Amino acid sequence: MKHEKTKHEFRANTLPALVTVGPVTIIMVLLIAVPLIYVAVMSFCSIDEFYNVTFDFTLENYVRLANVDYLKIYAQSIVIALVTTVICILVGYPFSYIIARTKSKKKKILYMLVIIPFWTNSLIRIYGWRTFLGSSGWLNSLLAGIGIAKEPIEFLYKQGTTILGMVYCLIPFMILPLYTAIEKLDSSLLEASSDLGARPVSTFLEVILPLTSSGIFSGSLMVFIPCLGYFFVSDILGGGNSDVIGNLIERQFQSGNNWPLGAALSIILIVVTLILVKIYQKLGGDMDSLGV
Amino acid sequence: MKREKKAKRIKRLSIVFCTLVYVFLFLPISVIVVNSFNATTTKPYMSWKGFTFDWYIKLWDNTSLLEALGNTMIIAIVSTVLATIIGTLGAIGMYRYKFKGKGLIDGLLYIPVVIPEIVLGISLLTIFAKVNIPRGMLTLILAHVTFCIPFVIFNVRARLAGYDNSIEEASMDLGANRIVTFFEVTLPVLAPGILGGALLAFTLSIDDVIISYFVYGQTKTYPLKVMESVKSGVSPDVNALSTLILVGTILFVVLTQGDLFKKKSS
Amino acid sequence: MKKKILSLIMVGAMACSMFVGCGSSGSAGKNGEINVFVWTEYVSESAIKAFEEESGIKVNVSTYSSNEDLLAKLKSESEGTYDVILPSDYAVEYLVAQDKLEALDKDKLTNLSNIDEAYLNESYDPGNVYTVPYEGGVACIAVNTAKVDKEITSYADLFDPSLEGQLVVLDDYRAVIGMTERSMGLSMNETDSDTLASVEEKLLTLKNNVKLYDSDSPKSALISGDCSVGMIWSAEVALAMDENPDIEIVYPTEGAYVFLDNWAIPKGAKNYDGAMEFINYMLSAEAAQMNISDFPYLCPNTAALEMMGDEYVNNEAKNVPSDVISSGEFVSYLDTDTLAIYDEMWTKLKK
Repeated sequence: MKHEKTKHEFRANTLPALVTVGPVTIIMVLLIAVPLIYVAVMSFCSIDEFYNVTFDFTLENYVRLANVDYLKIYAQSIVIALVTTVICILVGYPFSYIIARTKSKKKKILYMLVIIPFWTNSLIRIYGWRTFLGSSGWLNSLLAGIGIAKEPIEFLYKQGTTILGMVYCLIPFMILPLYTAIEKLDSSLLEASSDLGARPVSTFLEVILPLTSSGIFSGSLMVFIPCLGYFFVSDILGGGNSDVIGNLIERQFQSGNNWPLGAALSIILIVVTLILVKIYQKLGGDMDSLGV
Repeated sequence: MKREKKAKRIKRLSIVFCTLVYVFLFLPISVIVVNSFNATTTKPYMSWKGFTFDWYIKLWDNTSLLEALGNTMIIAIVSTVLATIIGTLGAIGMYRYKFKGKGLIDGLLYIPVVIPEIVLGISLLTIFAKVNIPRGMLTLILAHVTFCIPFVIFNVRARLAGYDNSIEEASMDLGANRIVTFFEVTLPVLAPGILGGALLAFTLSIDDVIISYFVYGQTKTYPLKVMESVKSGVSPDVNALSTLILVGTILFVVLTQGDLFKKKSS
Repeated sequence: MKKKILSLIMVGAMACSMFVGCGSSGSAGKNGEINVFVWTEYVSESAIKAFEEESGIKVNVSTYSSNEDLLAKLKSESEGTYDVILPSDYAVEYLVAQDKLEALDKDKLTNLSNIDEAYLNESYDPGNVYTVPYEGGVACIAVNTAKVDKEITSYADLFDPSLEGQLVVLDDYRAVIGMTERSMGLSMNETDSDTLASVEEKLLTLKNNVKLYDSDSPKSALISGDCSVGMIWSAEVALAMDENPDIEIVYPTEGAYVFLDNWAIPKGAKNYDGAMEFINYMLSAEAAQMNISDFPYLCPNTAALEMMGDEYVNNEAKNVPSDVISSGEFVSYLDTDTLAIYDEMWTKLKK
């Protein structure tokens, strides 16, 4: 009898649970958990004379990374990410607001126009900026043509150029959640607020902003974090002068050939990410909304 | 009266502002399109040497570029299908059953969404190197499936949130077995979420550079091919191919737009 | 939501590219295929096409930007990923020390006689057991004389504060640090930590002068005018000079960074015979001619040089004078502790 019951239990619950959750569990464990644990282990490993990873415990990698020079690059990377995020908010918010509150049929077209550029491969678009901003690029030709600049102006290979590229790549991740949040706003609420005599500024600060803050938070997270890792943007537009943490990691796994050091850098990046996610959750952010 | 004037000014200002943002968004695209007609044949292909259609013809001889595009398609389709099946099953199972370690899997699912892609890339590289799986199509697909699954799950889960279990029970009461119920009842209800997740997975897969960069071996995808050409100057045939893809997509949207938006607004 | 719409559209994009891509799915050549891993902007596409036609072997080319990239990839990829590689002198030294190269079958290298003996039997591979030379050159200086008044004759001049924000230098730490060491009258292979501390001090004074780090195609920045002085590979200067007559080549008075790149087959190559056939073809006069026409580096292939004619031979940017080579220095492979110091300096420079 008891045996019967467990058998039934198995068929009713355990088997379907295994079939449904089994595959995803295997993949998540083998290709997310195990690799990340391995990276964490590797960050305490040494290398031999031929740069092969040896499993001798050491703190050397972290000691090297606590060096002032590395700290300066982290700081630079965080500054780049912060400025990028702020610009994305300052540009993205009013922009999303305007298109989300447009009443005409054009609204859909306006929305599509934000997305269309992103159907083209991101690298090639970043390269387009390089062509546009170069000393003999379009912008300089234009400026010379209308007589503003006699000598070409140097736009490329500066920190500002890297930020421009980051904003360009990531601004849709700010605009789209903001658009969704703003579109959901009930216009009767706004009318009520102004009917009650609230000035536009206070309507904005006290009604609109709190209701759309979720969009700002998730947008900021989705802009800030990738910014720390997008090494190709600073490679193409920064000319190696405004590296982000991603560049450091990429270098250690390619030319630097020091995987344990790269692993330690990755762990630092993971810690930064976790802190940001915690802050996001504290602010009431919904994790599922990031992936939808 | 004064208020109206002010409103008008604000309106004008916002039109100017939005136009500027659109100019910003479309600038590099226009560079790509224009350069695809550039007659220059010397690297780095930046200065304008006259108008030509040549690159649209030469493009078809660039077998490695077309092959890369083919690889991208294969990887995107295979990993989308796999990620959709695995993700949908997983979402349903996690919604319905209680088991040990559920919280852990839930936590793992957020990792590919929030963590910088480069960390995922290097962690897969180190583990593939450790167990000595040759890098190539297989590792690319494994990597893509991995980062696509969470997006499928979140989309299906959003749909499940409003899902009424009783219709399934009703179906079973009417004598349908579990499998039939799944295909006839559960799946149709979840379809929009599954479709959304699959499309998202597809999008992420075809444009991925950073993760693929660490696990590709000899199998180059289209974005990786572009990355390589960025090193020595993007040649106009790459621009031409990008332009074709862009035009194709726009045409597709224009043709299907009505449909698309009706579904969306529901 | 946000990405959902994005993706709806992407499907359309891909539906269109489907028929583009699928028509041309790659198939191996009738005589198999080889995977070739070479420097960016170094081996002529026409030479590779010609080889494919002649041999029926399909060639898949991948590229790297520094020896370190090559070594890293060789280590991280599983054995058998590459059939042919093109390491420089010190990378050969490293690979031989680790027993990572297959010995070359000399009987199959019928074109080896084309190579000038002066470039054979180098210290990193005595008897050319594992490698044969391809092309070489120096890391020299390019000056856009229309934009720079200062006379530049040496690596040391590159540190002059008047060149602020004007330089493109190689994104290659051994080259840039080696150049700094030469400018101080040192060897490019210093290991003493006190000496290296002073090298670091000097190196960091270069920081303000560098606008761009680029190993792949540094000529682009010179041609476009983004940079007016470069510390770059000699053929890159030669190509930039072809595009812009204001650009001149300067061989540094301290003696230059010299390199020689070599064909080799990594251990475990899947198609050894195909790889040998490829290498032998690259040693032929016509292949070498195509290669130096596209990428005019120092060419050890005397048969090809004869065919190129006087104009090429007398062009001192393309055919680097022999005294420049003899007064220069090769980089050698250093121990990991020393390289860690080099790496640290490099990080400081680029931060």
